[in-house]
Amino acid sequence: MLPLSLLRTAQNHPMLVELKNGETYNGHLVSCDNWMNINLREVICTSRDGDKFWRMPECYIRGSTIKYLRIPDEVIDMVKEETQVKSRGRSEVSKGRGGGNMRGGRGGSRGAFGNRGRPAPLARGPPNRPQNKKK
Amino acid sequence: MASKEGGDKAKGPQGAGDGKEKRRKESILDLSKYLEKSIRVKFAGGREAAGILKGYDPLLNLVLDNTTEFLRDPDDPYKLLEDTRALGLVVCRGTSVVLICPMDGMEAIPNPFITQEG
Amino acid sequence: MASGLENYVNQTVSVITSDGRNFIGTLKGFDQTINIILDESHERVFSSSTGVAQVVLGLHIIRGDNVAIVGQIDESIDSRLDLSNIKAEPLGVIAH
Repeated sequence: MLPLSLLRTAQNHPMLVELKNGETYNGHLVSCDNWMNINLREVICTSRDGDKFWRMPECYIRGSTIKYLRIPDEVIDMVKEETQVKSRGRSEVSKGRGGGNMRGGRGGSRGAFGNRGRPAPLARGPPNRPQNKKK
Repeated sequence: MASKEGGDKAKGPQGAGDGKEKRRKESILDLSKYLEKSIRVKFAGGREAAGILKGYDPLLNLVLDNTTEFLRDPDDPYKLLEDTRALGLVVCRGTSVVLICPMDGMEAIPNPFITQEG
Repeated sequence: MASGLENYVNQTVSVITSDGRNFIGTLKGFDQTINIILDESHERVFSSSTGVAQVVLGLHIIRGDNVAIVGQIDESIDSRLDLSNIKAEPLGVIAH
C-alpha cells in the first residue's frame, strides 16, 4: 500500500499532522496531492512546546514540511487497492523486475490482517513528546 | 531541518491521473479566495507574517501588502513573542512557504485538549 | 524495490526518525521516497531515569525525509525485553 493512497483515502477524516518545526495541526483532511501538500479544515494548531493553541478555520500545509501524520485506524481498511496496480511513477520498479504483479500479490495478503485487535481510538491531542514526558 | 526546502521535486510525477480522484494537475490550494484578504504565512526557519494577499503564482510565491512580521525569541526561532514589526509590501518566496491560513477566524485559544502528561 | 523495504511489509519494524524518536509498528507500505505506513504503532520514549515508556499511537504515515532507520523487530526477542527496567538517554536530533 502506498502512503499517499492511504492519505487520499483519509480525506474527510480527522488527523494529526506534525511538522518538522514541531508544531502539530489537528483537523479534517480536505484534500492532498502527490507532494503530500494538504488542506485541513477546522484546525487546531499546537505550538512546539505544547503551550500555545490556535484555532484556524482552514489551512494549507506544504508537504515537504511534514514530519508525520496520524490517521484514524479504520482508514487503512478503506484503501482501494486498485491504486497500486496501475503503476505510475514506479516505472523503476517495473524495470527492475516485471513489477506490478508482486505488488498486487502483496495487496491480497493484506486480507489476513482483517481482524485486527485495536486499542481504543486515538486521543486527538498533542503528541507525547519525550521532552513533555517528565515522568 | 525545517529550512530545507524544495523536496517537492523529488516527489512522484505530477498528474498521476487517477481519473477518479479530483483535479490532480491543478494545485489543491485556490489562493484566489484569499485575494485582498489577510492571510497568515509561516516560513521555513520559523518566520511568520500576516498581510493582505495581492497576488500569487502557482509556485506559491506571494505578494503581501500591509505585512506584519511576528517577532521571535532570539534564543528560539520557533517561539513567537508578542512583538510585531511592519514590513509593508513584500514578495514571499514560494519555496520557503510552509503554511498558509486565513487570518479571518484564526484565534489563540486555551488548551482544547485534555493533556495526558505527568 | 531497491530499498529492500518490501521484505519488511506486514512485519513489525522499528523506525527511528531524525528527531530521535523511535516508533514500533507494522509496516503496511512505503514508497520511493521512504514515506512509510506504520500500523498499530507505538512510540518508545526513552529516559535515563524512569525506564522506557510506551505510547500507543495507531496508524501513522511517516514522511521519508525524517526516516533515519527502519529495522525489522524479532518479536520473540523483543517481547522478552523488560522495558520498564531499560534506562537510556533519548536519542538526539539529527541536525540538517
